[in-house]
Amino acid sequence: MGKQMTEMLKGTLEGIVLAILSGRSAYGYEITAWLRDQGFSDIAEGTIYALLVRIEQRGLVDVEKVPSEKGPPRKVFSLNAQGREYLEEFWRTWSFLTERLEQLREGDK
Amino acid sequence: MNTGSNEPKSRYQKYLGLVIGPLEDKRRYRQYKARTEQLPASYHTAIDALQRYMHYFGPGDSDSLLAMLDDLVDLFEQSAANGTPLREVVGEDPVEFAEAFLRNYPKGSWISRERNRLSNTIDRATGDKP
Repeated sequence: MGKQMTEMLKGTLEGIVLAILSGRSAYGYEITAWLRDQGFSDIAEGTIYALLVRIEQRGLVDVEKVPSEKGPPRKVFSLNAQGREYLEEFWRTWSFLTERLEQLREGDK
Repeated sequence: MNTGSNEPKSRYQKYLGLVIGPLEDKRRYRQYKARTEQLPASYHTAIDALQRYMHYFGPGDSDSLLAMLDDLVDLFEQSAANGTPLREVVGEDPVEFAEAFLRNYPKGSWISRERNRLSNTIDRATGDKP
């Protein structure tokens, strides 16, 4: 994963994680594993964890502690109403950005 | 409401906070340290290094600091249990991870005070705020 990808991901990772959680609830490790499967191979588990702490602090997710066979209990995150609203805003912003960028590319030709 | 009768109590609580607060903080800190000692050696080294870095740039009040350390050791315990390689936990650039993590605990850190001071000074200079 190149430097450019890392930089672009910084601004979108929050939206990506919220979008994953809109489909189903998940714990941190599952989210990281899914992202790695999708080709985001350099994403650090710690980065996802820090992001989850942040969206929990901001009240975008509900958290449930679930006992685990190995190790400490896992925090399972699910998107709540406030999180859904935030995700919609993220998609609107994303659409705006991609439309403008596409216009720039068309103008190039 | 009789505020007069509340005053001695609040002073007593203040006193309790002064005496017990630090003791409770110490207890939480020792608990955190004990948890880090249970981690695999490489994880232990990493969390000590992160803690050192975060002492410089992290929260200034003990409550936020302890909450941050608890969250940090939660991550490392979880990753150790999952068998995640250390590099995959902290990433290619551990400073970047440390900074992303620290941003969640802005309270009382000198760097966030300085950030606020800079923004406020510019606000006053531009006339955006009195």
